[in-house]
Amino acid sequence: MKIKHLLVGFVICAIAATTLASAGLTGQPAPDFALKSSTGDNLRLSEYRGDVVMINFWATWCGPCRQEMPLLDELYSRYERVGFSLLGVNIDDDSRRAMDMVAELGVNFPILFDARKEVSKLYEVQAMPVTVLLDREGTVRYVHHGYKPGYEEKYLDQIRSLLRE
Amino acid sequence: MTRNFIRFAASTILAFATASVAQDTAPTDTDTSMAATSNAIAAEAESRDRFVSLDKNVQDLKKEVLDLNRDLFLLEEELLFPANSQVAFFISMDVGEYFELDSINLKIDGKEVANYLYTEREVGALLRGGVHRVHMANLKTGEHELIAVFTGKGPHTRDYRRGATMAFDKGIGAKYVELEITDRVKKQQPEFVIKEWE
Repeated sequence: MKIKHLLVGFVICAIAATTLASAGLTGQPAPDFALKSSTGDNLRLSEYRGDVVMINFWATWCGPCRQEMPLLDELYSRYERVGFSLLGVNIDDDSRRAMDMVAELGVNFPILFDARKEVSKLYEVQAMPVTVLLDREGTVRYVHHGYKPGYEEKYLDQIRSLLRE
Repeated sequence: MTRNFIRFAASTILAFATASVAQDTAPTDTDTSMAATSNAIAAEAESRDRFVSLDKNVQDLKKEVLDLNRDLFLLEEELLFPANSQVAFFISMDVGEYFELDSINLKIDGKEVANYLYTEREVGALLRGGVHRVHMANLKTGEHELIAVFTGKGPHTRDYRRGATMAFDKGIGAKYVELEITDRVKKQQPEFVIKEWE
């Protein structure tokens, strides 16, 4: 019985720690970074100032990422022309696998490679996927850990409200 | 004729005078609405003035915040990088026909201190004459070695990677080092020069 309680406590602590790590970023200016993209160009976050930006951290081994990415791509193609940018940050060691998955899923948003995991450390990524939403000023407004069907509705509402600001 | 005109003028003046007396003595609906309009105009002017002064206050406050931010930044720089031990590394680019910069990696005394990726815009800014401070550090006085590795596209858009090394002596006082990328037209190759600013 004691062990069961201990286990439950441990799980609660782990969840709380994950939530707290991301909560620390909310309301803060988004840490700037530059990464190599799938097109070969280097992209810097600060150059997107003025746009509502979504940063999606993903990996090829993450099942929910595979589910989520086509839905994010829909949001990107719908709102891109009104000032919405989406950056997919892949954290795989081998970028070729990521490129294969992108080709398979047929997503069009820019994919960046964080093989050295420096950017994921900056954003305290402790789960997969992690989706961060920034407002036009470059402030972190929402952080989502993981993906469950229905999250895209939440994203849609948040993107719309940030675009209206 | 003249008498008729005088009579008409006199009657008109009398009529106006009567009307004005009547206006003075008994206020009509028109008077009330005029007074209300003038009150509204006065209120509007007052609120406009208040808004203007509020706007001015906000602008003043914003300016103060910006000034404070600048002062704090300078103070932070002075504290973190005291002028005596400060070494700054800058990168500049001239022409850039034979080299398209992608990234730069700096090592001081064998230790990696900066790894910077350049975006298209940043390269454009360098080509237009901009100078970028890649790194700033505190170094002890004495001999140091700098290794700069430039990565990008060379002639015929081939991947290009070149290193440049420089030994420099850090004396008392700040030091500024410029890493310059130029075109060597004779060899049709880029050239990487490291120089110290006096």
